Amino acid sequence: MARVFHATAGSSRTVRKRGGIVAGYLAPHPPHLVYAENPPQNEPRSTGGWEVLRWGYEELRRRLAVHKPDVLVVHAPHWITMVGHHVNCVPNPRGISVEPIFPHLFRYHYDFATDVDLAEAIVAEAADAGLVTSAMRDPGVRVDYATIGALHLANPAWDIPVVSLSANNNPYFYSDAALDEMETLGAATARAIERTGRRAVLLASNSLSHLHWDREPDLPEDMGVERPFDHHQYAGDMELLQVVREGPTERLRAAVPKHIAATQAETKAGSLTWLLAAMGWPAIAGDVLAYGTVIATGNAVVEWVP
Amino acid sequence: MGAVAAALVPGMPHLLAADPAPSWRELAAATRTVGDRLRERGVEAVLLLSTQWFTVLGHQVQCDPHLTGTRTDENWYAYDYGHLRYDLAVDAELAHAWADRIDAAGLQARRTRYTGFPVDTGTVTAAALLGPFPLAMVSCNLYADPDVLATVAAAGVAAAGDRRVAVVAVSGLSSGLIPRWITPAEDRIAEPEHDRWNRKVLDALAAGDDVAPLRAEFTRAAQADSQFRAHAFLTGSGAAGGKAEVLAYGPVWGTGAAVVWWEG
Repeated sequence: MARVFHATAGSSRTVRKRGGIVAGYLAPHPPHLVYAENPPQNEPRSTGGWEVLRWGYEELRRRLAVHKPDVLVVHAPHWITMVGHHVNCVPNPRGISVEPIFPHLFRYHYDFATDVDLAEAIVAEAADAGLVTSAMRDPGVRVDYATIGALHLANPAWDIPVVSLSANNNPYFYSDAALDEMETLGAATARAIERTGRRAVLLASNSLSHLHWDREPDLPEDMGVERPFDHHQYAGDMELLQVVREGPTERLRAAVPKHIAATQAETKAGSLTWLLAAMGWPAIAGDVLAYGTVIATGNAVVEWVP
Repeated sequence: MGAVAAALVPGMPHLLAADPAPSWRELAAATRTVGDRLRERGVEAVLLLSTQWFTVLGHQVQCDPHLTGTRTDENWYAYDYGHLRYDLAVDAELAHAWADRIDAAGLQARRTRYTGFPVDTGTVTAAALLGPFPLAMVSCNLYADPDVLATVAAAGVAAAGDRRVAVVAVSGLSSGLIPRWITPAEDRIAEPEHDRWNRKVLDALAAGDDVAPLRAEFTRAAQADSQFRAHAFLTGSGAAGGKAEVLAYGPVWGTGAAVVWWEG
């Protein structure tokens, strides 16, 4: 008989006092969720939509307040760097990020603080681990919507310093990240966090199943047309989330690549593998705070507390 | 009247480097030659698709008549060619007509006009080398079949009516990069197999052969940039059906790049 490992969901409200990674979140970034919320930083106005996912993020925000992190570290798939892994070391990134695919939904004025010491420490640790790594110190580089989206949805007050990491991909061949490199990058991130003594929360800015409509309704937030791309995509997401909910995370080493193959999951960009590797693949279950689709892609907000 | 010419040009910004590798210099010179030829033929506007402007919903058509700013590339920012000033004139009337034709073809056009819109590096690089033509630009939908991109190009040519237009696709051949920081002198095609496939495709184009049957294998064997759908866009315009002239071929950071010309 198959043995199912049931671990305690990682949502205990115990506050870890010392430094280290205090929690990790799968924090998908569809710009629709920011658009639907109508924050003052975003120019377009909506009538709402995608409420269940946004309620999940509201719960994430409540839990984040309990964790009281010093820093949010985010890995996002739309800061695509073709050569190596880049870390944003600009002290105060600010500007407007007009999203090239959804400019009608996302024109976001950003202004946030980077934890430069931690950012530089991640660069050093990753380089020492043999990864091609760059410290990005150019304030002219536009911050991408996947970075902003996850950070805004987790912490719209932007009152926690940030470190953001790029996704080393080839955008012209739609390649997958090398997940083994994401393991190395995750371990390097963890060492840098320990070395700097930060209380860090990690955000993996990935959707799940990633097939989606190629047309949009006249009203983007028309929930009458929002549904999974097909049953296969939905079932693939549920299979993965069942493993997440049962734990331990070690099972996801096999489940994530399988899910990518089945659903073109955005986790192929490596953010989730990076997060779990940084947390040391803890023997816990994840807490699924919400699941929903956005233009048919699957999205889940998930918490792991080591 | 149809497009008077078509061209495939690279979009990697290395072509604008102050200290280029030999192949970067040759590719840049060849792209300037394309611009010269377009001027000689009295081209009034260029219909342009860049695979670096990739989108997922419908087909975005740039409708802002004047795009100006500095493009800081998110990967190449540490180099001089990672900071590109641009000042682009868009033939907005043609752009709107193109969008209307895309809609009429049963596809979804998305008219794009937003302050601060991030013009892609490929468009900026190509425009700098071709010279100051009024542009009409369409995005490259990640999921569009080659036939759909051909339809989009045909819609653009039809929208042009009596204007003398040319069609330019900004894209590469093999897309396998050298995954580390190199000096220009170290540049080479990343894999011999990629080089072999690039040359095979270019030879076929020069011979006037139909390369569409090669596309899937080229994509698998050489990681063809955006599945080489840029070529389907060019052939869809009706201006890239005959023998091509390969003006330059060489590596850009391991990828394969070429400048290819078709007389319409």
